[in-house]
Amino acid sequence: MLDRDGEDLLRQLAPRVLGALVRRYGHFDTAEDAVQEALLAAARQWPADGVPDNPRSWLITVASRRLTDLLRAEQARRRREDTVAAWPVPEPAPPVATDDSLVLLFLCCHPSLSPASQIALTLRAVGGLSTAEVARAFLVPEDTMTRRITRAKKTIRDSGVPFRMPPPEQRADRLAAVLHVLYLIFNEGYVGTSGPSLQRVELSAEAIRLTRLLYRLLPDDTEVAGLLALMLLTDARRAARTAPDGTPVPMAEQDRRLWNHEQIAEGVVLVSAALPRGPAGPYQIQAAIAAVHDEAERAGDTDWRQIMLLYEVLLGLRDNPVVALNHAVAVAMVHGPRAGLDLLEPLGKDDRLTAGHRWHTARAHLLELAGEPDAAHAAYLAAAARTTSLPQQRYLHARAARLARK
Amino acid sequence: MKYMIMLTGSQRDYDRLAGKETDSPAWTPEEIGALYEFMAKWNNDLVESGEFVEGRGLAAPVHTRRVSLKDGVPVVTDGPYAETQEVLAGYTIVECASFDRATEIAAQLAHTPHPAHATLATPWYVDVRPLDEGPGQFD
Repeated sequence: MLDRDGEDLLRQLAPRVLGALVRRYGHFDTAEDAVQEALLAAARQWPADGVPDNPRSWLITVASRRLTDLLRAEQARRRREDTVAAWPVPEPAPPVATDDSLVLLFLCCHPSLSPASQIALTLRAVGGLSTAEVARAFLVPEDTMTRRITRAKKTIRDSGVPFRMPPPEQRADRLAAVLHVLYLIFNEGYVGTSGPSLQRVELSAEAIRLTRLLYRLLPDDTEVAGLLALMLLTDARRAARTAPDGTPVPMAEQDRRLWNHEQIAEGVVLVSAALPRGPAGPYQIQAAIAAVHDEAERAGDTDWRQIMLLYEVLLGLRDNPVVALNHAVAVAMVHGPRAGLDLLEPLGKDDRLTAGHRWHTARAHLLELAGEPDAAHAAYLAAAARTTSLPQQRYLHARAARLARK
Repeated sequence: MKYMIMLTGSQRDYDRLAGKETDSPAWTPEEIGALYEFMAKWNNDLVESGEFVEGRGLAAPVHTRRVSLKDGVPVVTDGPYAETQEVLAGYTIVECASFDRATEIAAQLAHTPHPAHATLATPWYVDVRPLDEGPGQFD
């Protein structure tokens, strides 16, 4: 078995090896399989033989040979099927020293792919995870994930997207797609971890790792910095956000000593440097909000006025019901629960909000603050009836029971 | 061969785990923590041994929608089960050497930790069923 450092090294090299192969030989789909096999070979051989002096060249050489074999087999198959092979099988050649990780990220997050495929392909081709690991992370059978990845690669092959950076006029949209995929990976890890869970690749950590890679490649992009900061500042609260039985702990009641202060410091530096550099995008603003929360030593010290203003800016950028909901809560913390409830009521007409528990939960909290225990009790129960998560239900029922006892 | 291990529970069992006020006491966080730890270990041991294929827990029966036919037209019923009716609550698919091995894995669940007051409406059981893996070949 490869140790932790060895595994980290392999994962870091994976996109660079794949980039080198595709740049030299094309055939993204087959090259991707060849790189996975080279990674497996390394995981088998390095623990016994030691890590080679130049691990990257080792991987490129092994992957190139494997690619050649796969392409020969493919060509033979086509010949048998009586179709003329349209491309020559390349000979293994010495590696090139470019880093095409960014081109790969753009390719894996191509708009012709569904979000589920973008995520799967990014984790495998850029993250260097095996199909089994990606499957387990998303709790789907391995066969399903294999098919999802194969189909995604076929879509890329058929679309004939060239292996190079998108043209300047598409850059902003394509980068937004990459950031969205990384954000989805982070979120999946952040919300999907409670209850009896399987040992699985930690998706939040994986998203942070990939976003760090992107930040290293595009240090001047303020939204990339904003997204990285948002992830660090949010993930910093991980140890405090759930009780041992999986019940969520609201931020006001979290033990702030459990927060990761190193991660908070890093996130604060990132977002503070990004914000003054031009119009702030949504990731930077969300990171700024997370920073205001994280910088409060006690819940009572939270600068809610600042948070309220930031949500107003965010609302101006995207008309999203969840943002409006959070804004209403911030207004309640500044101007009192009544003001928050007044903003909340019209949002109750939005089915996207009221079908889930969030609107009801926020309303219950504000009614409790406003000194209306009966209405709050009913709202907590309404919220509990709208979530399928047992830990969330336990939290909401406990809040309701506390009010009933008074 | 693949086998499905099926766990059942009633709406009442779910309500107790969800901390809903019922006629019997709710589980404490420690009791639930112990249950989760046990289930996670059971799952992860199967991942370690290479026998785990997949597993999921289902939301409470009250969230079920049943589609049936009325005068030839599909109609939807929300939450079709009685409070104490045992229905599928979760499943784990294992791939292992024999039916006996799958049964042995399922039998480990008999030791699931639970508080003394957590009595069940019907005696505890777990079902194991082979998956139909297609016709195969005769030779």
